[in-house]
Amino acid sequence: MAWIAERRRRSRFESVVLPHLDAGYALARWLTRNDADAADVVQEACLRAFRYFDSYREGDAKSWLLKIVRRSCYDWLERNRPADLVPLETATDPDGGIHTPSAADIDTEALLQSRSELRRLDRLIEELPPPLREALVLRELQELDYRQIAEVTGVPIGTVMSRLHRARSALRRAWDGKGCR
Amino acid sequence: MQCEEARARLDAYVDGEMAETERTVLRDHLAGCADCGPEAAALQRLRDEIRQAAPVYRAPPALRSQIRFALRREAAASGAPTLRASSWLAYAASILLAVAVGSGGTFLALGERQEDRVASEVIDSHLRSLLGTHLTDVASSDQHTVKPWFAGRSDVSPPVVDLSTEGFPLVGGRLDLIEGKPVPALVYKRREHVINVFVLPANRVDLGETLTRRGYSLRHWDEGDLSFWAVTDAAPTELTEFEHLFRAATKS
Repeated sequence: MAWIAERRRRSRFESVVLPHLDAGYALARWLTRNDADAADVVQEACLRAFRYFDSYREGDAKSWLLKIVRRSCYDWLERNRPADLVPLETATDPDGGIHTPSAADIDTEALLQSRSELRRLDRLIEELPPPLREALVLRELQELDYRQIAEVTGVPIGTVMSRLHRARSALRRAWDGKGCR
Repeated sequence: MQCEEARARLDAYVDGEMAETERTVLRDHLAGCADCGPEAAALQRLRDEIRQAAPVYRAPPALRSQIRFALRREAAASGAPTLRASSWLAYAASILLAVAVGSGGTFLALGERQEDRVASEVIDSHLRSLLGTHLTDVASSDQHTVKPWFAGRSDVSPPVVDLSTEGFPLVGGRLDLIEGKPVPALVYKRREHVINVFVLPANRVDLGETLTRRGYSLRHWDEGDLSFWAVTDAAPTELTEFEHLFRAATKS
């Protein structure tokens, strides 16, 4: 009976995918930089994943979900905060350093707040351009290996390596430069 | 190994993404080089700092149940017509079938599983109602406002009584989703605690005493052709008291 099959599909989906919900949420939270937006994006991503569930083959469910969450984040950013999606090449720092958000990005209050919190390393991570930020977060906080990061972000392993390197160099410069610690 | 070469491979080195032979060569270089050694140490320090400084984000509990809810809705919308039109009937039929071909034990197992599922959905819905902004669709302490609101919105017409004088004021009602079907939920308060009463078509299984699951008190009873599920974070004894009052008031 179709309804039994549908129920079975849903419960299989829940047991395969929902254990990785925290990881998905964390990635979305780092990319959207906001709790409520992260929750919206993750819910959308899960529904999307459920629709594509037939395309999931046994294997790395975490990477599979993260890939879909990441795609949903970029779609969401494109619709709601296109200014966040500065291409790496045109970021202020040619090394892909901490880019200075344009005036349109932020209001004064947010800027003041961000200045006062600039010391915090997590804020520095948040200011990395998304491609560098996601590589760093997936590696350091989600503990994915290079191959998994390449799979999730859809780029070759060489690119993963260079993005990680750029992210770390930028953090070290910003961190040392501001006399933190 | 040259410094330039070593620097280019430092990230792979600290990330453990390096074959053992290359790793040994690089380690030897780092041990002997006054520039590259500290560089590698600084990189490792940065990694430690990141892990310590960065907040650990976890999905809020409400999100988990919201997603389950959304998945059910999605599955119900895309499922076979039988799922939408008559999942209750289909379920009843499957139980009857099990009785016909199997033993009483099968019947019990199936029945219990459905009870469990409804119980867990009822708790999820309760949780969702507390965490979201959507406690009531119709906010009123007047039973003559709340009851008619459900007409046309649900197959089930729930009895509604206000129990303010007994310490359980009616707050309102909303339409919720249990097992993919819209069902009325009546909302009461006990001091600051919310009591949700879900009203489903009867299924003639009595849970008996007040259950506590996942920290919530849960009671289930059948009355006529309706099945009531009451859930709250107030004490189990208070929920028992609520059931007695509610049943007495709706009978009269």
